[in-house]
Amino acid sequence: MSFLEFTEGPLWYVALVVFSVGVAWNIIGILAMRVRGDSAVPRKSPVAGGIKAIFLHMAPHGGFFSRTAYHVIVGYLFHLGLFALLLFGSFHVAFIKEWTGLSWTPLPRWGFIIASEVAFAGLILMWIRRWTDPITRQISDRDDHIGTGLTMLAMLTGCFALGEASDGLRAVHMLSVELLMLYFPFSRLMHAFTFIFSRYFMGAAYGKRGYVP
Amino acid sequence: MSIRSFLLLLALVLGAAALPGPTLAAGEGATAGQVPGESLGNTSDADFWRAVREGQPQTISIPDREAAVLIQSEGENWRNIRNGPISTIGGWLLVGVIILVSLYFAIRGRIRITGGRSGKRIQRFTQMQRVGHWFVASMFILLGSSGLVLLYGRYGLPYLIGKDGFATLASASLQAHNLFGPLFIASIVVLFFTFVKGNWLSRDDIGWIAKLGGFFGGHASSRFYNFGEKNWFWMSMSLGLILSVSGIILDFPALLEDRYAQQLAHIGHAASALVFISVGLGHIYLGVFGVEGAVEGMTTGTVDANWAKDHHDLWYEEVMADEAAKAGGE
Repeated sequence: MSFLEFTEGPLWYVALVVFSVGVAWNIIGILAMRVRGDSAVPRKSPVAGGIKAIFLHMAPHGGFFSRTAYHVIVGYLFHLGLFALLLFGSFHVAFIKEWTGLSWTPLPRWGFIIASEVAFAGLILMWIRRWTDPITRQISDRDDHIGTGLTMLAMLTGCFALGEASDGLRAVHMLSVELLMLYFPFSRLMHAFTFIFSRYFMGAAYGKRGYVP
Repeated sequence: MSIRSFLLLLALVLGAAALPGPTLAAGEGATAGQVPGESLGNTSDADFWRAVREGQPQTISIPDREAAVLIQSEGENWRNIRNGPISTIGGWLLVGVIILVSLYFAIRGRIRITGGRSGKRIQRFTQMQRVGHWFVASMFILLGSSGLVLLYGRYGLPYLIGKDGFATLASASLQAHNLFGPLFIASIVVLFFTFVKGNWLSRDDIGWIAKLGGFFGGHASSRFYNFGEKNWFWMSMSLGLILSVSGIILDFPALLEDRYAQQLAHIGHAASALVFISVGLGHIYLGVFGVEGAVEGMTTGTVDANWAKDHHDLWYEEVMADEAAKAGGE
């Protein structure tokens, strides 16, 4: 069995199972959490407050913009770039089609390159902030750096393999993606799924009191 | 046919076979303007090939200027310059800087803060400046390492990782180099606007130059940036500009459709990159290893007051005067 066959065979299945079960386990755990009952009479709908919070916090508002502008802009750059290259890169669309039979129109190569550059710029800028902003540096721990490092590694190896010149580069990219998938459920990278629950929970709690900040 | 006629024909055939005829040794090639064949009648082959090597466009029926040139002879010059002086001089420049820096470190050691750390911190760089600096630094590492693999990899790496391994690494380096290039251009523009203030040459620089920056003893006064830092800034900007323009030409060859311009761009790109990397190594040495406390300005944004007194005393006095004025106004 070649290295590529190993990374696209057994290791891919292991990574996929750990990722899927781990993510499901976390989400079910959150949904099954018992929240202490609040017997106060709600002033407004907690459901409406929760939904409002999900959308309200997609953009900076209030008096915090100057403080949050950097990581909001850079965060959007990274996440939008990542989604574009992950879901609309022609290599990824072909890979998804191979495994699921589903496919859609991919980005042209120039679009993929721009999406990659935007994602790289966003990720590097976010990581620099973690190291250079005194407050963010204090609240960042090993998990943050490992998660960022593995994401960077997966993107970098993907960039290396852009020429489709060798099986080795494809295998290294697969390996780095699988490492990321194996680490994902046990880290703060889970925010990709849990942010919606935390926003809803906070919005519902405030919504019940009649005001969603 | 009679026997007499047959004997006459046989004699003619054998006689003809015995005569010396035109011969062409197998594998004979063109040497000193002479080429084998002479198959063009009135035009000699040597003239024909000479005309081809002159690289003049000929008449063709398609609208492609490049296709009208059969052999672009400047390509050979470009290859010789790239693999000759650029690689050789650039390589010695890199090795020279590493030797020089190592020698300086061995003789002078780490430049310590006079009187040790005071404990008082002074704000030196803003968050925006630190982000701009480290973003360029990360591009410098990614583009510098991938570029060096592309330029020098062939001389050593095939022996270490095999030809296939090197081909894989070269392909990876090329892709990374092309992808991160445009980000470097954006970052160098940001760097210019965040650092240009204070980097203009001033009269104070003369004293700093006269004392050789204090690198060989003594104290050289300076404001926020000393003459060496100003030089590094303007050198980064100039080399960054050359790298950006030449990089765009190489990344988008259809822009000019001129092979000669691309060859010039490639030579300019490689030469300026080698100077940038060489001087950059000196900058990294001084910032991280050579001068105690210097890197803190770029990591935390603040420096120790005694460090400021040592290296930027005029700026330190300005900061103290500002602080005193603010305290007096309260």
